[in-house]
Amino acid sequence: MDDKYPIISILGIRFNLANCLSVLVSAVLVFALVFFLSRKIALKPTKRQNVLEWIIDFTNGIVKGAMPGEEGKQFYLFTFVMFMFIFISNQLGLILQIKVHGVTWLKSPTANPIITMSLAMIVLVLAHYFGVERLGFGNYMKSYIKPVGFFLPINIIEQFTNFLTLSLRLYGNIFAGEVLLSLLVKMAFSHGPATMLVTAPLQMIWQGFSVFIGAIQAYVFVTLSMVYISEKIEMED
Amino acid sequence: MFSNLIVGASEAYLGDSLFVLVVFIILVALVGKFAFGPVSKMMQDRSDKITNDLDNAARSREDAAKLAAQRATELKNSKSEAVEIVNAAKQNGEKQREGMVKLAQEEVQTLKQNAKKDIEQSRLDALNSARDDVAQLSIEIASKLIKKELSVTDQKSLINSYIEGLDKQNEIR
Repeated sequence: MDDKYPIISILGIRFNLANCLSVLVSAVLVFALVFFLSRKIALKPTKRQNVLEWIIDFTNGIVKGAMPGEEGKQFYLFTFVMFMFIFISNQLGLILQIKVHGVTWLKSPTANPIITMSLAMIVLVLAHYFGVERLGFGNYMKSYIKPVGFFLPINIIEQFTNFLTLSLRLYGNIFAGEVLLSLLVKMAFSHGPATMLVTAPLQMIWQGFSVFIGAIQAYVFVTLSMVYISEKIEMED
Repeated sequence: MFSNLIVGASEAYLGDSLFVLVVFIILVALVGKFAFGPVSKMMQDRSDKITNDLDNAARSREDAAKLAAQRATELKNSKSEAVEIVNAAKQNGEKQREGMVKLAQEEVQTLKQNAKKDIEQSRLDALNSARDDVAQLSIEIASKLIKKELSVTDQKSLINSYIEGLDKQNEIR
């Protein structure tokens, strides 16, 4: 909204350092968590390994839901990382928001449309790449005029709507959650201890709900990603 | 349309997208190498092991059932075999007994016959010897009587008769 961001320009490419830092922190957190969970892997799983295997089973299940066959296996790792990254990113802003002199340095990276669009772009580029790889370029192009020729404009528009809905849904949910959180914080500090007492439970409730939303949105994002990819790599008849 | 949608970001930052892409690729690589790969492999190994174990269990159960059936038939066979053996032994015993009885009877028969023959023989012998003795005795008695009061005539006639007797005896012989 009215936030200020630290922006630098390298070789004419502009970087929003807040986004970059948030993405980096999320990635490091994801790796640290997963690395921590994956120590001492054994045939008889320990507690940590059980947690990790449960998450992996969960994301594998998402892939299997869209692509039940052998072709889904190559997306297990991608789905797992994407889910973990978005989930941690969604939760990051609930725990940690750093502002220095009014300039935001750290928040949920998914509360920024650029980040979510980048993620959606990764998904769609993968979808189209695997579509061409699997079906061949001719069949890939033919898939735009299916089931009949005049669907061509609709099919082309669909690619953009897929991209926009995928990215903006995630962005909107997380961004709205953070806006409400910061509004509650402002309200808490507006009239001294009285408003603090009132807003503390509200804040707690909304934070809990945001955790829930963050998890749901991560799930929705990877589920739709897999649906889009499966649409591209499966021959429709 | 885009500028309205993108709230809070006055301009698109290409650098952010590139950064996200790079970080994401590195994250995928690292997670794949250090966590996802080994854990997935372990999960695969485990499912393989469980499948194998289940197969093995089914196979050994089958084997056990087969073995039990085999043992049962063998037991039955051995029972019938035992019955057969006992029956054979009984028959053999019966046969042997009959044979022995028959043998004993035959022996008894022969013994009886021999005894009869012996008795007959000895009876005949005794009779013969008795007859001889009687003849001898009568001859002795007769000679004594004859010595005492045999007249010449009588002697002659006696001699004649005796000779006749001898002749007859010769004739008979």
